[in-house]
Amino acid sequence: MHWNTKIINPQDLINIARGDHKIIYKYLIQFQELIPQRIHSLKAHLKAEDRKQVRQLLHQMSPQIQFFGINDLVNPIRRLELEYETMPIEELCTLVETVIIKLNLALKDVHLAINENF
Amino acid sequence: MSFHKIRCLIIDDDPFIRELLQDKLDQYFPDINVLSSVSSGKKGIEEITKHKPELIFLDVEMADMTGFEMLSQLSKINFQTIFITSYSHYAIKAIRFNALDYLLKPIDLGELKGAVKRFKTYTNKGTQHVNLSLALKNIANKNVGDHLLNLKTQDGNLRLVLNDIVHIEGDRNYSYIYLKNGTKKLVTKTLMQLEELLDSKGFYRCHKSHIVNAKHITSYLNGNLIKLSESLNIPVSRRKKKHFFDWYTAYQNASQ
Repeated sequence: MHWNTKIINPQDLINIARGDHKIIYKYLIQFQELIPQRIHSLKAHLKAEDRKQVRQLLHQMSPQIQFFGINDLVNPIRRLELEYETMPIEELCTLVETVIIKLNLALKDVHLAINENF
Repeated sequence: MSFHKIRCLIIDDDPFIRELLQDKLDQYFPDINVLSSVSSGKKGIEEITKHKPELIFLDVEMADMTGFEMLSQLSKINFQTIFITSYSHYAIKAIRFNALDYLLKPIDLGELKGAVKRFKTYTNKGTQHVNLSLALKNIANKNVGDHLLNLKTQDGNLRLVLNDIVHIEGDRNYSYIYLKNGTKKLVTKTLMQLEELLDSKGFYRCHKSHIVNAKHITSYLNGNLIKLSESLNIPVSRRKKKHFFDWYTAYQNASQ
């Protein structure tokens, strides 16, 4: 398989697939379907300044982000999960927007991986 | 030749985790049969009733209810539970305090193997059922002092009400727990492990060898000694004096 990715690290994906390309495809498609929905919800919660929902959503996204090896996002998400109540709202917005930018880049990686391999 | 397959359910509201866990179980555990994989506590209850599993993998925090809430709605629990949670989840403390088994998301294969091995060891021993029913009682009880702590001793299991513990003294890999009835018990946990378990439950590690229960402190003498009874004083290490004083003042204010 050809991996020309910039943001994601497919190592965990390759490990779980154990040579079965259908499994890799399943996780790529799932990422492509789930992440845009979650970005959409994240934007809505951010607009409403609903800190609790922002944390909840990031908490839910975190395992998938780790699995796809998006290491740039691990620390910002961990900070948001731990400091969501106390962090100034401007800082929280900036951090969440950074997360969204990186997730969009990861989506491009996943899209490319699907196009090049399946 | 046929062999017994462990009947198992996955209950988690994250589709990614359900897929990942199912794949890992399919690939590495041929003796585990995942009967169903569902996304909510409500569906979980239905599937448990229908399939009567031996093992469930249960998300701690789902959209409709927590894993503990789901379990408390069942009239009988005759399966073992491995909780699934994230590193930062507040429930981790409750899970550790009650000695329950858990896996961190995303599921690490080595940890999964360990949890399944423990499941097989526990089967028929009933240890986990006891811990789980204790956990549900503790979680339902808002008075932390009445929570039950289950610990291992050289003679078996020891169950203690937190309010009954006066102080704890570390002794290398073991600890002595001093109770208000004047007895002491030796448990197979280090002072550091007990400090972690008792964090936020009215206990304070005031010295490298001692943890005290704030409930039993009668006075704090000269900034050096904590008086627990007429004849019992526990030292406070020099570097912890200020922190202990602040912590104990906050404890007293909260208790008033």
